Amino acid sequence: MMRPLRLLALILIPMGIIIAAVPSNKTHPYQPSPEELLDEVNSRTQFISPDVVADMIINKDPSLQLIDVRSRDEFEKYSLPGAINIPSADILSEEYAGLLNQDIRMNVFYSNGTVTANAAWMATRQLGYANNFVLEGGLNYWFEAILNPEKPASTKSDEEFAKYDFRKSAGQALGGGGLTVQGADDQRSTAQKPVIKPAAKKKKAAGGC
Amino acid sequence: MGPLVINEIISENTNFLLAFLIGIAFGWVLESSGFSSSRKLAGIFYGYDTVVLKVFFTGAITCMLGLLFMGLFGWIDLDLVYVNPTYLTSAIVGGVVMGVGFIMGGFCPGTSFCGAAIGKIDAMVFIGGLFIGVYGFAFTYGWWEKLYLAKYLGEPKVSQSLGLSDGLFGLLLIMAALVMFWVAEWAEKKFPREEY
Repeated sequence: MMRPLRLLALILIPMGIIIAAVPSNKTHPYQPSPEELLDEVNSRTQFISPDVVADMIINKDPSLQLIDVRSRDEFEKYSLPGAINIPSADILSEEYAGLLNQDIRMNVFYSNGTVTANAAWMATRQLGYANNFVLEGGLNYWFEAILNPEKPASTKSDEEFAKYDFRKSAGQALGGGGLTVQGADDQRSTAQKPVIKPAAKKKKAAGGC
Repeated sequence: MGPLVINEIISENTNFLLAFLIGIAFGWVLESSGFSSSRKLAGIFYGYDTVVLKVFFTGAITCMLGLLFMGLFGWIDLDLVYVNPTYLTSAIVGGVVMGVGFIMGGFCPGTSFCGAAIGKIDAMVFIGGLFIGVYGFAFTYGWWEKLYLAKYLGEPKVSQSLGLSDGLFGLLLIMAALVMFWVAEWAEKKFPREEY
Protein backbone atom coordinates (compact mmCIF):
# COMPACT_ATOMS: atom_id res chain seq x y z
CA MET A 1 0.00 0.00 0.00
CA MET A 2 1.41 3.33 -1.09
CA ARG A 3 1.60 6.06 1.51
CA PRO A 4 -1.28 8.51 1.12
CA LEU A 5 1.00 11.51 0.72
CA ARG A 6 2.87 9.89 -2.13
CA LEU A 7 -0.38 8.88 -3.81
CA LEU A 8 -1.69 12.43 -3.47
CA ALA A 9 1.52 13.79 -4.98
CA LEU A 10 1.26 11.35 -7.89
CA ILE A 11 -2.22 12.60 -8.75
CA LEU A 12 -1.86 16.31 -8.01
CA ILE A 13 1.52 17.08 -9.57
CA PRO A 14 0.67 15.83 -13.10
CA MET A 15 -2.66 17.67 -12.98
CA GLY A 16 -0.89 20.83 -11.85
CA ILE A 17 1.63 20.51 -14.67
CA ILE A 18 -1.15 20.08 -17.23
CA ILE A 19 -3.08 23.10 -15.99
CA ALA A 20 0.10 25.21 -15.87
CA ALA A 21 1.08 24.21 -19.40
CA VAL A 22 -2.18 24.84 -21.26
CA PRO A 23 -3.22 28.41 -22.00
CA SER A 24 -6.08 29.58 -19.84
CA ASN A 25 -9.40 29.64 -21.61
CA LYS A 26 -10.54 33.13 -22.45
CA THR A 27 -14.28 32.77 -22.55
CA HIS A 28 -14.68 36.45 -23.40
CA PRO A 29 -12.97 37.86 -26.47
CA TYR A 30 -11.26 41.15 -25.83
CA GLN A 31 -13.39 43.07 -28.31
CA PRO A 32 -17.03 42.19 -28.86
CA SER A 33 -18.02 41.62 -32.47
CA PRO A 34 -20.92 43.70 -33.84
CA GLU A 35 -23.23 40.68 -33.44
CA GLU A 36 -22.25 40.24 -29.82
CA LEU A 37 -22.67 43.92 -29.16
CA LEU A 38 -26.15 43.83 -30.70
CA ASP A 39 -26.92 40.81 -28.56
CA GLU A 40 -25.77 42.62 -25.45
CA VAL A 41 -27.80 45.71 -26.29
CA ASN A 42 -30.90 43.61 -26.89
CA SER A 43 -30.50 41.60 -23.73
CA ARG A 44 -30.26 44.91 -21.82
CA THR A 45 -27.58 43.53 -19.50
CA GLN A 46 -25.90 46.93 -19.39
CA PHE A 47 -28.75 48.39 -17.36
CA ILE A 48 -28.48 48.68 -13.59
CA SER A 49 -31.74 49.34 -11.79
CA PRO A 50 -32.03 52.54 -9.71
CA ASP A 51 -32.76 50.40 -6.64
CA VAL A 52 -29.36 48.72 -6.83
CA VAL A 53 -27.63 52.06 -7.39
CA ALA A 54 -29.53 53.71 -4.50
CA ASP A 55 -28.59 50.81 -2.23
CA MET A 56 -24.92 51.14 -3.19
CA ILE A 57 -24.90 54.94 -2.67
CA ILE A 58 -26.46 54.62 0.78
CA ASN A 59 -24.12 51.84 1.81
CA LYS A 60 -21.17 53.89 0.51
CA ASP A 61 -20.16 50.92 -1.62
CA PRO A 62 -16.62 51.80 -2.74
CA SER A 63 -16.94 49.81 -5.94
CA LEU A 64 -19.55 52.19 -7.35
CA GLN A 65 -18.45 55.02 -9.63
CA LEU A 66 -21.27 57.14 -10.99
CA ILE A 67 -20.44 58.98 -14.20
CA ASP A 68 -22.63 61.85 -15.34
CA VAL A 69 -22.39 62.06 -19.14
CA ARG A 70 -24.48 65.23 -19.44
CA SER A 71 -23.00 68.67 -20.06
CA ARG A 72 -21.04 70.45 -17.34
CA ASP A 73 -23.88 72.98 -16.79
CA GLU A 74 -26.41 70.27 -16.17
CA PHE A 75 -24.00 68.41 -13.92
CA GLU A 76 -23.47 71.50 -11.78
CA LYS A 77 -27.22 72.05 -11.41
CA TYR A 78 -27.90 68.55 -10.16
CA SER A 79 -25.94 65.34 -9.88
CA LEU A 80 -26.14 62.12 -7.93
CA PRO A 81 -24.00 61.81 -4.78
CA GLY A 82 -20.38 60.98 -5.58
CA ALA A 83 -20.82 61.29 -9.34
CA ILE A 84 -18.09 62.65 -11.61
CA ASN A 85 -18.75 64.46 -14.86
CA ILE A 86 -17.50 63.21 -18.23
CA PRO A 87 -19.57 64.90 -20.97
CA SER A 88 -20.47 62.31 -23.59
CA ALA A 89 -18.43 64.13 -26.25
CA ASP A 90 -15.26 63.58 -24.21
CA ILE A 91 -15.91 59.94 -23.40
CA LEU A 92 -13.20 58.64 -25.75
CA SER A 93 -10.60 61.19 -24.68
CA GLU A 94 -7.29 59.69 -23.54
CA GLU A 95 -7.67 61.44 -20.23
CA TYR A 96 -10.48 59.14 -19.10
CA ALA A 97 -9.25 55.84 -20.57
CA GLY A 98 -7.79 54.69 -17.26
CA LEU A 99 -11.03 55.44 -15.49
CA LEU A 100 -13.23 53.64 -17.98
CA ASN A 101 -10.98 50.67 -18.77
CA GLN A 102 -10.41 48.96 -15.43
CA ASP A 103 -11.68 45.95 -13.59
CA ILE A 104 -11.94 47.15 -10.02
CA ARG A 105 -14.89 49.49 -9.89
CA MET A 106 -18.31 49.45 -11.43
CA ASN A 107 -18.88 52.52 -13.59
CA VAL A 108 -22.50 53.55 -14.00
CA PHE A 109 -23.25 56.09 -16.74
CA TYR A 110 -26.31 58.23 -16.40
CA SER A 111 -27.97 61.02 -18.35
CA ASN A 112 -31.46 62.51 -18.21
CA GLY A 113 -32.93 59.66 -20.20
CA THR A 114 -30.89 56.68 -21.31
CA VAL A 115 -29.97 57.65 -24.86
CA THR A 116 -26.79 59.61 -24.10
CA ALA A 117 -25.66 57.20 -21.38
CA ASN A 118 -26.28 54.26 -23.66
CA ALA A 119 -24.24 55.89 -26.43
CA ALA A 120 -21.37 56.38 -24.00
CA TRP A 121 -21.66 52.75 -22.93
CA MET A 122 -21.70 51.54 -26.56
CA ALA A 123 -18.55 53.52 -27.34
CA THR A 124 -16.66 52.06 -24.38
CA ARG A 125 -17.99 48.56 -25.03
CA GLN A 126 -16.80 48.74 -28.62
CA LEU A 127 -13.31 49.25 -27.25
CA GLY A 128 -13.74 46.09 -25.20
CA TYR A 129 -13.95 47.85 -21.83
CA ALA A 130 -15.85 45.92 -19.20
CA ASN A 131 -17.46 47.03 -15.93
CA ASN A 132 -19.37 49.92 -17.48
CA PHE A 133 -23.11 50.08 -17.00
CA VAL A 134 -26.06 52.37 -17.59
CA LEU A 135 -28.53 53.63 -15.00
CA GLU A 136 -31.86 52.22 -16.08
CA GLY A 137 -34.30 54.95 -17.06
CA GLY A 138 -31.77 57.72 -16.38
CA LEU A 139 -32.35 60.63 -14.01
CA ASN A 140 -35.97 61.01 -15.10
CA TYR A 141 -36.82 57.55 -13.84
CA TRP A 142 -34.60 58.11 -10.79
CA PHE A 143 -36.79 61.05 -9.75
CA GLU A 144 -39.90 59.04 -10.37
CA ALA A 145 -38.82 55.79 -8.74
CA ILE A 146 -36.47 56.73 -5.93
CA LEU A 147 -37.17 60.34 -4.98
CA ASN A 148 -40.96 60.28 -5.44
CA PRO A 149 -42.05 56.65 -5.38
CA GLU A 150 -45.74 56.00 -5.91
CA LYS A 151 -47.50 53.86 -3.34
CA PRO A 152 -48.66 50.62 -4.97
CA ALA A 153 -52.35 49.74 -4.99
CA SER A 154 -53.43 47.69 -2.00
CA THR A 155 -54.03 44.70 -4.24
CA LYS A 156 -50.36 44.52 -5.21
CA SER A 157 -48.02 41.82 -3.98
CA ASP A 158 -45.89 42.06 -0.84
CA GLU A 159 -42.86 42.29 -3.10
CA GLU A 160 -44.18 45.50 -4.63
CA PHE A 161 -44.69 46.92 -1.15
CA ALA A 162 -41.20 45.90 -0.04
CA LYS A 163 -39.84 47.65 -3.12
CA TYR A 164 -41.92 50.74 -2.31
CA ASP A 165 -40.72 50.78 1.32
CA PHE A 166 -37.14 50.51 0.17
CA ARG A 167 -37.55 53.30 -2.37
CA LYS A 168 -39.27 55.56 0.12
CA SER A 169 -36.53 55.19 2.72
CA ALA A 170 -33.80 55.40 0.09
CA GLY A 171 -35.40 58.55 -1.34
CA GLN A 172 -35.54 60.01 2.14
CA ALA A 173 -31.85 59.30 2.73
CA LEU A 174 -30.92 60.75 -0.65
CA GLY A 175 -32.80 63.98 -0.11
CA GLY A 176 -35.96 63.21 -2.04
CA GLY A 177 -39.49 64.46 -1.51
CA GLY A 178 -40.68 61.23 0.05
CA LEU A 179 -41.41 62.92 3.37
CA THR A 180 -42.88 66.22 2.28
CA VAL A 181 -46.37 65.09 3.20
CA GLN A 182 -45.44 65.53 6.83
CA GLY A 183 -44.44 69.07 6.08
CA ALA A 184 -41.25 69.59 8.04
CA ASP A 185 -38.31 70.79 5.99
CA ASP A 186 -35.62 69.88 8.48
CA GLN A 187 -36.48 66.22 8.21
CA ARG A 188 -34.17 65.99 5.28
CA SER A 189 -31.12 66.77 7.31
CA THR A 190 -32.11 64.39 10.06
CA ALA A 191 -33.05 61.66 7.63
CA GLN A 192 -31.93 58.35 9.03
CA LYS A 193 -30.02 55.77 7.13
CA PRO A 194 -32.78 53.42 6.07
CA VAL A 195 -32.85 49.75 6.86
CA ILE A 196 -32.66 48.11 3.51
CA LYS A 197 -33.96 44.84 2.32
CA PRO A 198 -32.80 44.92 -1.28
CA ALA A 199 -34.93 42.66 -3.37
CA ALA A 200 -33.01 43.11 -6.57
CA LYS A 201 -29.42 42.65 -5.46
CA LYS A 202 -28.29 39.10 -5.06
CA LYS A 203 -26.34 38.55 -1.88
CA LYS A 204 -23.66 36.02 -2.38
CA ALA A 205 -22.64 33.72 0.40
CA ALA A 206 -19.09 34.04 1.52
CA GLY A 207 -17.14 30.90 2.26
CA GLY A 208 -15.24 29.96 5.38
CA CYS A 209 -14.70 27.11 7.71
CA MET B 1 -22.52 27.04 -19.02
CA GLY B 2 -22.01 27.70 -15.33
CA PRO B 3 -22.27 29.30 -12.86
CA LEU B 4 -25.79 28.00 -12.65
CA VAL B 5 -27.45 30.69 -10.54
CA ILE B 6 -26.18 33.78 -12.35
CA ASN B 7 -27.14 32.34 -15.72
CA GLU B 8 -30.56 31.49 -14.30
CA ILE B 9 -30.22 27.81 -15.16
CA ILE B 10 -31.37 27.04 -11.63
CA SER B 11 -33.47 29.33 -9.46
CA GLU B 12 -32.36 31.03 -6.26
CA ASN B 13 -34.49 28.57 -4.28
CA THR B 14 -32.91 25.53 -5.90
CA ASN B 15 -29.60 27.14 -5.08
CA PHE B 16 -30.57 27.31 -1.39
CA LEU B 17 -31.67 23.68 -1.47
CA LEU B 18 -28.34 22.65 -3.00
CA ALA B 19 -26.50 24.79 -0.43
CA PHE B 20 -28.46 23.02 2.32
CA LEU B 21 -27.49 19.58 1.01
CA ILE B 22 -23.86 20.60 0.48
CA GLY B 23 -23.86 22.06 4.00
CA ILE B 24 -25.00 18.76 5.47
CA ALA B 25 -22.33 16.92 3.51
CA PHE B 26 -19.73 19.45 4.68
CA GLY B 27 -20.76 18.97 8.31
CA TRP B 28 -20.60 15.22 7.91
CA VAL B 29 -17.11 15.35 6.42
CA LEU B 30 -15.95 17.68 9.20
CA GLU B 31 -17.33 15.40 11.89
CA SER B 32 -15.95 12.22 10.34
CA SER B 33 -12.51 13.84 10.00
CA GLY B 34 -12.60 14.47 13.74
CA PHE B 35 -13.10 18.22 13.46
CA SER B 36 -15.57 18.34 16.31
CA SER B 37 -12.74 17.86 18.80
CA SER B 38 -11.14 21.12 19.88
CA ARG B 39 -8.00 19.27 21.00
CA LYS B 40 -7.56 17.83 17.54
CA LEU B 41 -8.12 21.25 15.96
CA ALA B 42 -5.73 23.00 18.32
CA GLY B 43 -3.13 20.32 17.48
CA ILE B 44 -2.19 22.24 14.36
CA PHE B 45 -0.75 25.02 16.52
CA TYR B 46 1.37 22.59 18.56
CA GLY B 47 2.30 20.16 15.82
CA TYR B 48 0.88 16.94 17.30
CA ASP B 49 -2.07 16.77 14.92
CA THR B 50 -2.10 18.48 11.52
CA VAL B 51 -5.32 17.08 10.11
CA VAL B 52 -6.78 20.61 9.84
CA LEU B 53 -4.04 21.71 7.49
CA LYS B 54 -4.29 18.53 5.45
CA VAL B 55 -8.06 18.45 5.09
CA PHE B 56 -8.50 22.13 4.26
CA PHE B 57 -5.55 22.37 1.91
CA THR B 58 -6.57 19.19 0.09
CA GLY B 59 -10.09 20.62 -0.19
CA ALA B 60 -8.83 23.96 -1.52
CA ILE B 61 -6.51 22.36 -4.06
CA THR B 62 -9.11 19.90 -5.30
CA CYS B 63 -11.55 22.76 -5.72
CA MET B 64 -8.96 24.93 -7.47
CA LEU B 65 -8.02 22.16 -9.91
CA GLY B 66 -11.68 21.40 -10.56
CA LEU B 67 -12.48 25.02 -11.36
CA LEU B 68 -9.39 25.49 -13.54
CA PHE B 69 -10.11 22.35 -15.55
CA MET B 70 -13.80 23.17 -15.89
CA GLY B 71 -12.79 26.64 -17.09
CA LEU B 72 -10.42 25.05 -19.58
CA PHE B 73 -13.16 22.78 -20.94
CA GLY B 74 -15.52 25.76 -21.19
CA TRP B 75 -17.98 24.32 -18.65
CA ILE B 76 -17.78 27.29 -16.35
CA ASP B 77 -17.07 30.96 -16.94
CA LEU B 78 -14.53 31.86 -14.28
CA ASP B 79 -15.17 35.57 -14.87
CA LEU B 80 -18.63 35.09 -13.41
CA VAL B 81 -17.49 33.21 -10.32
CA TYR B 82 -17.83 35.33 -7.21
CA VAL B 83 -14.52 36.46 -5.74
CA ASN B 84 -14.57 37.98 -2.29
CA PRO B 85 -13.71 41.66 -2.55
CA THR B 86 -10.52 42.55 -0.70
CA TYR B 87 -10.56 45.17 2.03
CA LEU B 88 -6.94 44.90 3.13
CA THR B 89 -7.24 46.38 6.63
CA SER B 90 -10.27 44.37 7.64
CA ALA B 91 -8.74 41.23 6.14
CA ILE B 92 -5.66 41.61 8.34
CA VAL B 93 -7.55 42.64 11.49
CA GLY B 94 -10.18 39.96 10.91
CA GLY B 95 -7.51 37.35 10.29
CA VAL B 96 -5.79 38.15 13.57
CA VAL B 97 -9.06 38.11 15.52
CA MET B 98 -10.05 34.83 13.89
CA GLY B 99 -6.65 33.25 14.53
CA VAL B 100 -6.49 34.29 18.17
CA GLY B 101 -10.08 33.09 18.66
CA PHE B 102 -9.19 29.76 17.04
CA ILE B 103 -6.23 29.16 19.36
CA MET B 104 -8.12 30.29 22.47
CA GLY B 105 -11.42 28.60 21.71
CA GLY B 106 -10.18 25.53 19.90
CA PHE B 107 -12.80 25.90 17.20
CA CYS B 108 -13.46 27.87 14.08
CA PRO B 109 -17.09 28.86 13.35
CA GLY B 110 -18.02 25.85 11.20
CA THR B 111 -16.42 23.25 13.44
CA SER B 112 -18.03 24.74 16.57
CA PHE B 113 -21.46 23.96 15.08
CA CYS B 114 -20.15 20.50 14.25
CA GLY B 115 -19.08 20.00 17.86
CA ALA B 116 -22.36 21.41 19.20
CA ALA B 117 -24.28 19.02 16.96
CA ILE B 118 -22.78 16.05 18.79
CA GLY B 119 -23.40 17.68 22.17
CA LYS B 120 -20.04 19.18 23.08
CA ILE B 121 -20.48 21.84 25.72
CA ASP B 122 -17.27 23.73 24.89
CA ALA B 123 -18.55 24.09 21.32
CA MET B 124 -21.86 25.49 22.57
CA VAL B 125 -20.02 28.04 24.72
CA PHE B 126 -17.95 28.94 21.67
CA ILE B 127 -21.15 29.53 19.66
CA GLY B 128 -22.38 31.77 22.46
CA GLY B 129 -19.21 33.82 22.10
CA LEU B 130 -19.68 33.84 18.34
CA PHE B 131 -23.09 35.45 18.68
CA ILE B 132 -21.84 38.00 21.21
CA GLY B 133 -19.17 38.92 18.68
CA VAL B 134 -21.63 39.09 15.76
CA TYR B 135 -24.14 41.26 17.64
CA GLY B 136 -21.41 43.34 19.22
CA PHE B 137 -20.00 44.13 15.81
CA ALA B 138 -23.40 44.79 14.26
CA PHE B 139 -24.51 47.21 16.98
CA THR B 140 -21.23 49.13 17.01
CA TYR B 141 -20.76 49.04 13.24
CA GLY B 142 -20.61 52.85 13.14
CA TRP B 143 -17.36 52.82 15.12
CA TRP B 144 -15.69 50.38 12.78
CA GLU B 145 -17.10 51.44 9.43
CA LYS B 146 -14.03 53.43 8.38
CA LEU B 147 -11.65 50.64 9.35
CA TYR B 148 -13.96 48.04 7.83
CA LEU B 149 -14.02 49.68 4.41
CA ALA B 150 -10.39 50.86 4.36
CA LYS B 151 -7.89 49.86 1.64
CA TYR B 152 -10.37 48.50 -0.87
CA LEU B 153 -8.45 46.65 -3.56
CA GLY B 154 -11.25 45.33 -5.74
CA GLU B 155 -11.23 41.61 -6.39
CA PRO B 156 -7.61 40.76 -7.12
CA LYS B 157 -6.37 37.20 -7.42
CA VAL B 158 -2.96 36.22 -6.05
CA SER B 159 -1.95 35.00 -9.51
CA GLN B 160 -2.76 38.44 -10.98
CA SER B 161 -0.80 40.33 -8.35
CA LEU B 162 2.20 38.08 -8.95
CA GLY B 163 1.84 38.38 -12.73
CA LEU B 164 1.52 34.60 -13.15
CA SER B 165 -1.06 32.64 -15.10
CA ASP B 166 -3.74 30.95 -12.99
CA GLY B 167 -2.45 27.52 -14.01
CA LEU B 168 1.17 28.21 -13.09
CA PHE B 169 0.14 29.63 -9.73
CA GLY B 170 -2.00 26.50 -9.24
CA LEU B 171 1.02 24.27 -9.83
CA LEU B 172 3.12 26.29 -7.37
CA LEU B 173 0.36 26.07 -4.78
CA ILE B 174 0.16 22.29 -5.21
CA MET B 175 3.91 21.99 -4.69
CA ALA B 176 3.73 24.26 -1.65
CA ALA B 177 0.88 22.18 -0.21
CA LEU B 178 2.73 18.90 -0.72
CA VAL B 179 5.81 20.33 1.00
CA MET B 180 3.58 21.50 3.87
CA PHE B 181 1.98 18.07 4.17
CA TRP B 182 5.40 16.51 4.32
CA VAL B 183 6.53 18.94 7.02
CA ALA B 184 3.26 18.31 8.87
CA GLU B 185 3.81 14.55 8.91
CA TRP B 186 7.33 15.11 10.17
CA ALA B 187 5.96 17.37 12.94
CA GLU B 188 3.43 14.76 13.97
CA LYS B 189 6.26 12.28 14.48
CA LYS B 190 8.39 14.83 16.26
CA PHE B 191 5.74 16.08 18.71
CA PRO B 192 3.56 13.03 19.32
CA ARG B 193 0.90 13.08 22.01
CA GLU B 194 -0.54 9.89 23.37
CA GLU B 195 -4.11 10.74 24.22
CA TYR B 196 -6.11 13.79 23.16
